[in-house]
Amino acid sequence: MIKAENLTKSYGRHLAVDNISFSIEKGEVIGFLGPNGAGKSTTMNMMCGCLAPSEGRITINGIDIMDEPEETRKYVGYLPEQPPLYFEMTVTEYLKFVGELKRVPKKQIKEDIDRIVNLVKIADVKDRLIRNLSKGYKQRVGIAQALMGNPPILVLDEPSVGLDPKQIIEIRNLINELKKDHTLIISSHILPEISAVCDRVLIINKGNIVASDTPENLSKRLTGSNKVYLRIKGEESAVRDALSSVAGAEHISVSPCQEEEALDVTVEAEGDEDIREKVFFALSGGKLPLLQMRPMEMSLEDIFLNLTTVEENA
Amino acid sequence: MLAVLKKEFKTYFITPVGYIFMGLFLLIAGITFVTGNVFSMSEDYANGTLSGLILVFVLAIPLLTMRIYTEEQRQKTEQLLMTAPIPTWQVVLGKFLAASLLFGMTLLVTVIFPILLSFHGRMEWPVIIGSYIGFFLLGCAFTSIGVFVSSLTDSQASAAIITLFLVLITWMIDFISGYMPQSNLSGIIFALVLALFLGLMVYNSSRNLTVSGLVLLAGLLVTGAILLINKEVFTSLITKSLNWFSLTSRFYNFPRGILKLSDLVYYLSFCGFFIYLTSRKIEKKRWS
Repeated sequence: MIKAENLTKSYGRHLAVDNISFSIEKGEVIGFLGPNGAGKSTTMNMMCGCLAPSEGRITINGIDIMDEPEETRKYVGYLPEQPPLYFEMTVTEYLKFVGELKRVPKKQIKEDIDRIVNLVKIADVKDRLIRNLSKGYKQRVGIAQALMGNPPILVLDEPSVGLDPKQIIEIRNLINELKKDHTLIISSHILPEISAVCDRVLIINKGNIVASDTPENLSKRLTGSNKVYLRIKGEESAVRDALSSVAGAEHISVSPCQEEEALDVTVEAEGDEDIREKVFFALSGGKLPLLQMRPMEMSLEDIFLNLTTVEENA
Repeated sequence: MLAVLKKEFKTYFITPVGYIFMGLFLLIAGITFVTGNVFSMSEDYANGTLSGLILVFVLAIPLLTMRIYTEEQRQKTEQLLMTAPIPTWQVVLGKFLAASLLFGMTLLVTVIFPILLSFHGRMEWPVIIGSYIGFFLLGCAFTSIGVFVSSLTDSQASAAIITLFLVLITWMIDFISGYMPQSNLSGIIFALVLALFLGLMVYNSSRNLTVSGLVLLAGLLVTGAILLINKEVFTSLITKSLNWFSLTSRFYNFPRGILKLSDLVYYLSFCGFFIYLTSRKIEKKRWS
């Protein structure tokens, strides 16, 4: 549905996006993940026709967006990093204006507004001035704006930035709702959000795509070894002795913990072997009470840090 | 385009700007009318009162246009307009028309003055109608300058000051042009500078040395050819060109009841040129 080929954008000498290519199928939910200044917003701006690529091209349904900007922009609803709101308008006035601007037929504008205010849950504030709304509501009005005219593609740049945890969950539910009839492209540096809603993650760092996979695969690919977290009551030397007797256990790291007389320990196993049982018996043999044990999966956060730091070392 | 026009026009009345503009303009127009026509028992509305109002709207037009693009840039709502499925020039045209419409509406209110006068004297309606048309066109031309300036900056104050300055300059051209050197030589130099300027402008936009060189050469050739054929052209060329450019000198045809097509075309193309410049300026942001 959307295809980017050798996309490059430079601001003067600064290379914001460096020769990236990707393609997004209909109905997919794609997450752009990356630190600030990685080129996420620039890429999104190019996809929406707000910026022209320095090199390369973007096609939507096979049409180059630079060839037919007016036609292709109809397919895309865009929520920029800062929602483009007119503070002096009420929510309904604003949505009506956006509808007219997007050349939505008059009858459909009214239907769209009624449908969208209920979908994004802003019906109770629809006659209030946007200036007086809270940040969470403003963000939702921004999403409502992108939904006007019911475009098949939605591009949301950091939809949950600056929101409190409750609002983040609400936005996440909303995105899950939108998934049903839209192709979604979401950027974020709030990682759980991406892994919760996206089918595929593109990790972008310094204008390059570092990785592209499903959140689960990325996690699997990068974990590689089997890590176990333990909380053990006892002396450090005794713990180390007991654990080193376990076959396949490597990289034992011990650190003090909040609980008295206890230690936080991580053990890494070679390959895919599950060492949890062996660890249990080794510790019980040494009369070391085991307070907690859980397998450590690399979170998206770890993957992200791992990938971006690897990139830096290279 | 209609959506933008409607939104901008509404914004004038949601914010105080529209009321301030209308209020100030009508207050001063009223004072001028009372002192110029009522107390002095004069029938001369078009030449006296209406022409005297030019200075007022030279001062008031920046109020009308200062926020028109600066606010979009400041509130970051520009991205909404830039990703909308309509061409940029239509957005700019919508904004320009909204400002012109407000200005035209305010002007329409002052029609009450000549109507009041008509009960007590004989009015020359063609002259008055002509003046109003001219007045409106002049206002549109100033508005188009203002719209362009507001696209250059994201501060309302600087937009207002720069617009005021530019509008004042175009208004002052009439006085300045009289003091320009009148000799043939100065005319030739002026023509050469113009050719050089044109060449530089072409180079600046195309970065192509051959093309801009050719433009410069063509300019020189034309200057030389005219010098051989008809020297008279260069006599007081500067004054003539400045007068041709002057927005206000053309305006004075209207109160005389002369509605020339060339004047009409001049004003409309002036507005068109600045609307074009503005949309180029906005489009440029995509490529920055």
